[in-house]
Amino acid sequence: MNVDRLKSIGVVVEEVPAGAGNALPVLHEVLHALRRLSEDGDPTIIDLRAIPFGPGDEQALLETLGEGEITATLDSLGRTEIRETRYHGVWVVDYLGPDGERVGLQIEVTEVPGLLRTPAGDIGDAVAALQERLAAAEDTSSQENNR
Amino acid sequence: MTLLDFARGPALQWALIIMVAGMLWRFFGVLLLMRGKVLSKPRSDKTVWAGIRTVFKRSWVPPVMSKRTQYQLVTGYVLHIGLFVVILLFVPHIEFIKGITGLSWPGLPNNVITVATVLTIGVLVALLIRRMTQPVLRAISNADDYISWFVTMLPLVTGLMAFAHIGPRYETMLAIHILSVALLMVWIPFGKLMHMVLFIPSRAQLGAKFERRGVEA
Amino acid sequence: MTRDLTVGEALRQQGVSRRGFLKFCATTASMMALSPAMVPAVARALEQARRPSVIWLSFQECTGCTESLTRSHAPTIEGLIFDSISLDYHHTLQAASGDAAEKAREQAMHDNHGKYLLVVDGSIPLANPGYSTIAGISNLDMLMETAEGAAAVIAVGTCAAYGGLPQANPNPTGAVSVMDLIKDKPIINVPGCPPIPAVITGVLAHYLTFGTIPELDHLGRPKAYFGTNIHDRCYRRPFYERGEFASTFDDEGARKGWCLYKLGCKGPVTYNACATAKWNGGTSWPVESGHGCIGCSEPAFWDRGGFYQPLSQATMTSGTVLGAAAAAGLAVGVGAALMGRGKHKQAQEEQK
Repeated sequence: MNVDRLKSIGVVVEEVPAGAGNALPVLHEVLHALRRLSEDGDPTIIDLRAIPFGPGDEQALLETLGEGEITATLDSLGRTEIRETRYHGVWVVDYLGPDGERVGLQIEVTEVPGLLRTPAGDIGDAVAALQERLAAAEDTSSQENNR
Repeated sequence: MTLLDFARGPALQWALIIMVAGMLWRFFGVLLLMRGKVLSKPRSDKTVWAGIRTVFKRSWVPPVMSKRTQYQLVTGYVLHIGLFVVILLFVPHIEFIKGITGLSWPGLPNNVITVATVLTIGVLVALLIRRMTQPVLRAISNADDYISWFVTMLPLVTGLMAFAHIGPRYETMLAIHILSVALLMVWIPFGKLMHMVLFIPSRAQLGAKFERRGVEA
Repeated sequence: MTRDLTVGEALRQQGVSRRGFLKFCATTASMMALSPAMVPAVARALEQARRPSVIWLSFQECTGCTESLTRSHAPTIEGLIFDSISLDYHHTLQAASGDAAEKAREQAMHDNHGKYLLVVDGSIPLANPGYSTIAGISNLDMLMETAEGAAAVIAVGTCAAYGGLPQANPNPTGAVSVMDLIKDKPIINVPGCPPIPAVITGVLAHYLTFGTIPELDHLGRPKAYFGTNIHDRCYRRPFYERGEFASTFDDEGARKGWCLYKLGCKGPVTYNACATAKWNGGTSWPVESGHGCIGCSEPAFWDRGGFYQPLSQATMTSGTVLGAAAAAGLAVGVGAALMGRGKHKQAQEEQK
């Protein structure tokens, strides 16, 4: 089959729709969560997987939320992008798989998203690891001094 | 076979067969009935025209009777227009008719249909109360009247319940609605609901008869 | 044997950090349609969960369910679920074949008697067991033998759950579903033709995390995914309400993305997660791509009238049948009237 002939079929990209209007209710939910965070200090996570988005809705939502001053990347089990939106306290957490495809998308309304916090166990491991590193360095330098 | 498959399948098929065969049987049977020879001298020869005119003229009430019949006239019109809107201007219903006859036409938005349905149900309830409380009406009402009321009411109520997701799961409620329509179809040839086609020859015949006698009808 | 590690330990052994584990739990909880508030519980459970042995039997199927699963968009997350189970037997995915494969199955059944998970795709033919066999063993025998020591059975795909395509009229192979045959084990039906991959792994993840069967509806489907119908979650619903429908696949309404009711969409009577979870990693789903729902997660969806016939239409009636009914009615009506007239004339004659 001559693949080149396929290329001659003109694919016309029609106008990308502006959304089916499902971004608005989510934005209201974000506002409620933000109020709750402001008044009671309670964080909220909104899983966007369960929302019936039509074409263009997700884009409209993310565009409205925009980008803030912090962007962070977590590299473990694929990349995860965490960024604060233009509304402080509203974070978008984009879970990506190994090929960069999206495996999850959540909005976290909180002071600091969970993934950015350092787990207590990791701190313990880090203490042990650095202690060991320094002990090894001292051993090496004392060995050199003793020559 | 689920209830819905049964309703959309054999139930509707047999109901339609009975309705079509029954309506044609009764319509032509009544139309061709003997009426006996009229032996008086005809006062006019415009009987056909008078018959046609009477079919339309009976759609409103002569001024002398208007005050007494106002309630009946208004509720009657609201009921029939409501039924027309709900049955013939709701897109899923138009699709149903299209499936059988191939004909289709544009419909109205669903919220208009919902309002019309609620209105029609309300009027039907009001009319039943009237039938059961007004002494003359109560005296002349028989099983035919009450059955006809019931089989008309049931599709309206079940349709509204299905649409609004009230009651059993949607697919069950839809099946119940379709079965209630099948029930209505089966009843039509046998009761007073035949007035929906018989009113035309009935009024025409009366008009022609009276015209022959030289009386206004 | 790696099967003795807990899921948490297995992941750490693969170099997954604590934060990575949290990401795994968050996306797994999302896949299980759980609220994000449940992630800590999921994390605690997964940390300690043992890796169950899974035996996957494929009967009269098209392999679409396995294809759906292995083409899933997130090989790491869903693959991890898969790696978190011990898939001891699967025709398409296993390396072994022939006797070696059957021996592996028998070994797994023996070692984990009473504890392994049995996954079935494809229907089972009863008309003649010879219609579908594996290593000379009929599907029926293999199912009954393997189900005996299973903790639970997951029937993946509409064929295993309800009979599917093989069972469609006239059902030449006498195909039946898993629940028609197994009566003494808990069965989870995960229908769909094929099911959404995230739904399959979500059910496995639930069992992995909590060790229990998720809440099921009256057709044995997990309510988390099959609890709402497509119509109630469809983003085109406002068009349905406003009465804006597409009449053909290329008219103005179709281009504008209007409701597909008139083109036979079975969304109102179909329960599945397509409208929210979507397909191909959330790319799209049939309605969004312009084709009505065919109701593939419902029993007997092949025999419900045409895919392009709207729900409100009668499925069995035809113009010919009604024409015949009309002719019959007319004949009887006219005949009865003429008979009546005949009698009337007769009476008049007698009177004279």
